[in-house]
Amino acid sequence: MKNKTNQITLTYIIAALFIAIISYKLAKHYSSYLNAYNFGFIKDILFIITTGLLFRYVLHKNYKRNTETYKKLKQTNEKLKESNEKYDIVAKATSDTIWDWKIPEDKLTWNKGIKGIYGYSQDQITNNSKWWFDNIHPEDSIKMSIKLYSFLEQKTEKWQDQYRFKCADNTYKYVLDRGFILKDENGKAVRMIGAIQDITKQKEEENRLKLLETVFTEARDSIIITQATSDEFQIPKIVFANPAFSKMSGYDHFEIIGKSPIFFMGKNSNTQEIEKLTQAIKNREECFTEIILYKKDHSEYWVSLSFIPIYNLEQDLSHWISIQRDITEEKKLEKEKEILIAELTRNNKDLKQFSYITSHNLRAPLSNLTGLLNLMDDVTIENSELKEIINGFTISTHLLNETVNDLAKAITIKDSPAMQNEELQIKDIFKNILSQLNLSIESTKPKLNIDYGNVSKINTNKVYIESILLNLFTNSLKFRSKNRDLIIDITISETNHIITIHFRDNGIGINLERHKNKIFGLYQRFHDYPDSKGLGLFLVKSQIETMDGTISINSEVEKGTEFMLTFKSL
Amino acid sequence: MLELIMCIDDDPITLMLFKKVVQKAAFAKEIIYAYNGQEAITFIDNIQTEDTKPQLLFLDLNMPVMGGWEFLDLFNNSNYYHLNNTKVIILTSTIDPEDIKKSKTYPNVIEFLSKPISVEMLGYLKTII
Repeated sequence: MKNKTNQITLTYIIAALFIAIISYKLAKHYSSYLNAYNFGFIKDILFIITTGLLFRYVLHKNYKRNTETYKKLKQTNEKLKESNEKYDIVAKATSDTIWDWKIPEDKLTWNKGIKGIYGYSQDQITNNSKWWFDNIHPEDSIKMSIKLYSFLEQKTEKWQDQYRFKCADNTYKYVLDRGFILKDENGKAVRMIGAIQDITKQKEEENRLKLLETVFTEARDSIIITQATSDEFQIPKIVFANPAFSKMSGYDHFEIIGKSPIFFMGKNSNTQEIEKLTQAIKNREECFTEIILYKKDHSEYWVSLSFIPIYNLEQDLSHWISIQRDITEEKKLEKEKEILIAELTRNNKDLKQFSYITSHNLRAPLSNLTGLLNLMDDVTIENSELKEIINGFTISTHLLNETVNDLAKAITIKDSPAMQNEELQIKDIFKNILSQLNLSIESTKPKLNIDYGNVSKINTNKVYIESILLNLFTNSLKFRSKNRDLIIDITISETNHIITIHFRDNGIGINLERHKNKIFGLYQRFHDYPDSKGLGLFLVKSQIETMDGTISINSEVEKGTEFMLTFKSL
Repeated sequence: MLELIMCIDDDPITLMLFKKVVQKAAFAKEIIYAYNGQEAITFIDNIQTEDTKPQLLFLDLNMPVMGGWEFLDLFNNSNYYHLNNTKVIILTSTIDPEDIKKSKTYPNVIEFLSKPISVEMLGYLKTII
């Protein structure tokens, strides 16, 4: 550089001297005032040399300053280059999006990340800071710009900020933006380079964790976390307890930490359950139990408790989590219920016993009466009045006997445990019933239509099915209409092991509107008939229900009655 | 026709009825009566000869002093091995299903009948003994 200054000075002097010499030579050739020209020539030479030297001095001065400026610029460029290279490497490694803002021109350029991560194509981007600011979430932009400008004015040393940045698809990503400033020689910010990191996932995870934490803090159930212990004989210590546990147990949080869950158990805590829990901890198995715990004030409370091992990614046992629900009130109710059930069972048993005794005490003299009257059959009585009296006596005794026997049967049904089923021919059942009703059928001569359908055999309780059908037949015969001949229609069918029997007559019917709710009740009589005891349908219903079956009724006064029976035949 | 049967019941009318029906059905020649289990045991203890041994016992369950079950427990005792072949018929007015179930646990009880005794019942018994 120094040579250049000399070169320029020398070139100037030579060129100027050349012109001076040429001027001198020409003047000498054309003029006669030689002395005057000699003088002028010397003056020119002196002028040239003086200005040449002056020129060199100025150039030299400038050169010095230029060298310094150049050096500075070179250094800055090198720094910048290095930074850019570094940033490119970092950006590649962290998938950051780099922006470069030339502040005086307000020119802001983005690297590839703006496309890859935020989905913008080149034509969607305007290379100025406005575009950047416009894409910051309205709720974040004010806070962000305040921080940024105070950094640009160098009121703060560092700048990094979190905000939501709009993507091309109008969704927002959470970003972490970090930047640094390049200053000019006057220390004024001329350029800013930043790196935006997409932290949406972290932010979402953070929000998710926050939400999960509310489960812990807001739950009404107690939640405690204990450390895992490597010593199998040691009960793990509590490292975390939620507010509900403090509330439930009455202990402050700091009093709970470091305690073992066993600490809250006491003399009325079931030792078997404690053993179960410690065994589960030893075996690293989850455990569920109901146990009494003790509050700080020594009062008891029942909890339903779970104790569950938590494993980390390496499949090592890291913690135990225990959730405890206060079930004191439920336990209290349960106990009350148990007492009540025991009491009811006892009462029920007493009542049953009472009904057996009553029925026995009724039946004992009654059976004597029946037996005695049976003997009377062979005795001839001459006195017609006495004969009439004894006849009435016999009828009443038989009716009483039937009633007592029916009642006894009803008691037996309600008390009978498992039913004994057997395979029966459906035709045999009806044959048997009809032979029992032989006398009444002879006298009333009903028209019987029995359609056995697809049913030939059924598997059920013989006594019950016979008793049910006998009752229905007896009712039809008993409550027939005087205005027409009795017709009884019976249809039987089977689908999927369910037997359905429709039993229909054209008798006097029952006023269902009046009697609907008490049709199958005990001691319900719907007609003023002397031999109606009000037990038949009660028995029928009890028996069909014991057979896991159902019964329903359709009836119209003076038209007839229809019963629908269904029961299983397996 | 059986030679000798025994009826154990505390009710005199039942006994009277029993006698009449047995006669009518020509079921047995002679009947021994006992008013409760204790009396029956006393009689059985004093049996000396084969011809004083009842061939069939009719037993009520609800009796004072010693009821039917207590009697059966004693009767099944080895002391009465000489009566091991004597069958017992329970004749009672009870309807408790537990009683019927319980009667089946005694091997010498062959029937559980409901009062009153009838000629038909005795006719049926003739076919099974």
